[in-house]
Formats: sequence, C-alpha cells, structure tokens
Amino acid sequence: MRHVGAIASRELRSFFVSPVAYVVLTMWSVLAGTFFLSSLIGFQEDLIRAQQFQALDALEQMNLNDGLILPFYGSMWIVLLFALPAITMGLFASEKANGTEELLLTSPVTIWEIVLGKFLAGVGFVSLMMAIVAFYPGLLFVYGDPEWGKTLSGLLGLFLVSVTYVSVGGFASALTRNQLVAFVLSLVLLLVIGMMLPFIVELGVARDALGSSSALADVMRYIGTGEHFEQLLRGLVDTRDLAYFAIVTATFLWLTKTALESVRWR
Amino acid sequence: MSEPAPAIEAAHLSKRYGDALAVDDLSFRIGRGEVVGFLGPNGAGKTTTMRMLTGYLPPSDGSARIVGYDVFEQPLPARRAIGYLPESPPLYPEMSVEAYVAHVAKLKDVPRGARRAAVDHAIRRCGLVEVRRRVIADLSKGFRQRVGLAQAIVHDPPVLILDEPTVGLDPIQIREIRALIAELAAGHGDAGHTVLLSTHILNEVEAICQRVILMSEGRKVVDEALSELVSGGRSLEEVFARATSRDDAASIAPAPAGASEGPGAEGRA
Repeated sequence: MRHVGAIASRELRSFFVSPVAYVVLTMWSVLAGTFFLSSLIGFQEDLIRAQQFQALDALEQMNLNDGLILPFYGSMWIVLLFALPAITMGLFASEKANGTEELLLTSPVTIWEIVLGKFLAGVGFVSLMMAIVAFYPGLLFVYGDPEWGKTLSGLLGLFLVSVTYVSVGGFASALTRNQLVAFVLSLVLLLVIGMMLPFIVELGVARDALGSSSALADVMRYIGTGEHFEQLLRGLVDTRDLAYFAIVTATFLWLTKTALESVRWR
Repeated sequence: MSEPAPAIEAAHLSKRYGDALAVDDLSFRIGRGEVVGFLGPNGAGKTTTMRMLTGYLPPSDGSARIVGYDVFEQPLPARRAIGYLPESPPLYPEMSVEAYVAHVAKLKDVPRGARRAAVDHAIRRCGLVEVRRRVIADLSKGFRQRVGLAQAIVHDPPVLILDEPTVGLDPIQIREIRALIAELAAGHGDAGHTVLLSTHILNEVEAICQRVILMSEGRKVVDEALSELVSGGRSLEEVFARATSRDDAASIAPAPAGASEGPGAEGRA
C-alpha cells in the first residue's frame, strides 16, 4: 500500500494544473454564496411572516439549523451532483488517454493501490470543497447561536455523500478513455443514485407496480442517497446510514478495480 | 533451474484478439547481458509480445518469465526487474521532467534514500539536465522520448524492454538514443543490462544488437546471432525481406548461411 500516497499526491497536484479544478472551485464558491444568501433571505422572510401573524408556535420552532443551514446543505448537495463528475472524469480516463495506464500497470503497483490512490485524491479535493461550504455556517456562529452538533453532522453528511460520489465517478472514469463520456456517465449514475431511485418509488405508477412497501421498493429507497443524507442533516448520526455510505463506496471501488482489470483481459 | 534464470523467457506465448491470432506460440530465451533486436513488419505482433512480457497484457496461452519470476504469478518482483518504454512514452504532460522521473522512481520502489541519486543519474544519462525543470508538454519529441527512456532506467532494472525507441526522431536524435542504448547495454561498471528492442530500422539492429528475433504474422521466423545472419554476404535487409515474405518455406528453420537461396527470394516486397 505504500504507492497509494505517491499516486494520490500526483493526482491531487494534477487537478490544480488543469483549469477544471479552478472552474469547479469557483462555481462551487459562487453557488455556495448564492444559496447561502437565498437561504438566509428565505429564513428572514419566514421569521417576519411568523411575527406578523403572531404564530407563536411557529416562532418557537424556528431555528437557524432547520431554517437556514439545512436548506443550504440541501442545495449544495444538488450542486455536488453536477460538480463532482467534472472532478472525477479524468481520474482513470486521462491515464488511458495519456498512455500512462501502461506505466502504472507495468510498475510494481497493485490495482488496489491505483484505485485507492485515485480515490484518496478525490477525497482530498472534496475536503477542500467542504471547507468552502463550512465557511458559511461558520459565519452564523459569529452572529447567532446555531447548534454545533446538527451543523457538523449535516456537514459530515455532505462530506460522506461527496466521498461516495467520488467512488461512483471514479468507476465511470475507469470504463472509458474519453473524459466527456466519463463525465456524462457519472452524471447519469449520480442522478439515478442520488435522486431518481426514491423518486421512482414514490411515483404513482411505480407505486402501483412495485407496491410502495414491497421489498424491491425498500431496496431502491435504501440505495438512494437521499434518505441517508437527510438523517444526517437532521442531526441523526446513525450507524445504519454510515454503513450505507461505506457499503456503496466500497462497492464502487471494487467495481472500479474490476473494470481496470477487465480492460487487460479483453 | 540450477543455472541462473534467463533474463527473459517466453514459453509458448499466444495472444488472441477475438478470432485474430496476434501472437502464435512464441518461445525464446534471452540470456543476461544480451542485446536483442526484435524485428518484424508492422502488425507482426512485436508490441503485443512486449506487452505480454511486461505484464500489461495477459497472454491467451503460455507464460513469460523475467529473471526467473513469472510475470503473472509473481508480478511484483517481475515488474521491478523491468524497465519498459512503451510505443508511445507514458508521460504526464503537466509534470516537470524531474518531478515525473521522481514519481516513477517511487512507483518502481526505488528506496527513499537512494531516490534523489537515482533520479539525477537517470536524468544525466538521458541528457536531460538542461530541461529537468521544464514541463513535459513543452518538450520536443526527441526530448520526450528521452524522458521515456529515463523513466525506464530510473530503477536500474536488469532488463530493458524498449518498443521502437527511435521512432519519429530526427537522424541526430536517433544517433543519440542509439548511443545511449548501446551504453546501457554495455553497462557501467557491472554487467550490462539485458535489452530487448523492437524497431524496423535495420541498421539500428546492426549497430547495437548481437542477436535478432524476427517475427512475421505472429510467429518467430528467425532467431539467430547477428554475426551468423549476415555472414555469407547477406544483408540484414535481405534476410528480413525473405523471412517476412508470405512464403514460409524460406525461414522457419534457423537456416545456415549457405542455404540462402530459398524459394522466397522472388517474394520480396
């Protein structure tokens, strides 16, 4: 496993010589600012409305975590679906296009080392994205008094979702030498895993066909990221949800390894 | 295996792509310190063979050993013993020459303490000193080829497998690369490297190789010492043309110098 660090650090550095990383980080920062502001304005409007109508119950219930931080994290999750494929598309596809795959596969390096090295580089980049996101709730601690636990568990949720998506995007990248194909493929996979699966289950038609409480519907709901992410957003750190992220990530890492090997067996 | 294992040993290697047989039951042994020219027309299966020897492609049949290690059963020690320059040098265009060679040194298990020196050494040997801090994307083709070579020798492997190291270079660069390979083969102090080098430049073979393996349509048609091959006044070009002509009769047996008037002579392209 000693090559993992070398592969990860080379990859991480290579992110920052291509414009893609800067474009993604810029977009990410701008959108984070925009969504934070809109969440803030939304929260303020709710507050004013509640005061106008003297809705004391509602006023009592309102807090920065549920009213502001949660929708903010939710929006960033959607951005993630579109931003991460741009980061992961090159992980393996560029090695194939450069011919450097031949170097890696003829070096005394195991395929797991390659897969994990690439994955860790992705995780490193994602950590940077999380630091940018964390800045905004951080502001609230200066001016207000949100709950630490909920704020952090939401951030943890966003981080785990990103890590999981890196493994999905890496898999897409391992299937092709064309980065554009990798981008589209991982976007589709992420949309399916992230949004479509639970959505399909809830659709009227599908509910009739599947029966919304059928085993299949349960499985599909389980596979979707949404439910697990929401638990963490609400401040519920449950091992079952943590296990979900671990399982999906491990599965896609394993698929990536298999995809890389299968290229050699053709 | 009481005697030292041969540097490279191919045993009944075959590679099938769908129905096409790219390499057909290829066997040979290359002893330590030998410099072997690997010849054949395009599509003869040279690159595929080299990829099987380096462990990049699994053979459909047969096996390969590098200094005694089976390339697929014991991949890590086998790969450590190989320096490989693929057909197109495997470069990361965004890295500097120095950073790239250092990265490869890490991948190839050069111990941390020796890394600095190994990188310097490879850069010096390949004549890259003046471009060591330049980004690879900005280098000329000749320099890139040399970076590819530096990558292959940085861990000082006993076996060098070079796939067309001089293709696409200008005559001066070709001469330089060739001199470098000859120098590597001769060794510096200790025993030289074993080199298997594919090319279709015949005088390249004459300049640096002691032995020739010639492939045609996936099969080995000639495997002989260069001095034997060109004795009796034949030029390597004649041998090449005859052996790779469709007529198989001319070649398969390691023909003694006298038996050069085969029926394949008129089949010359």
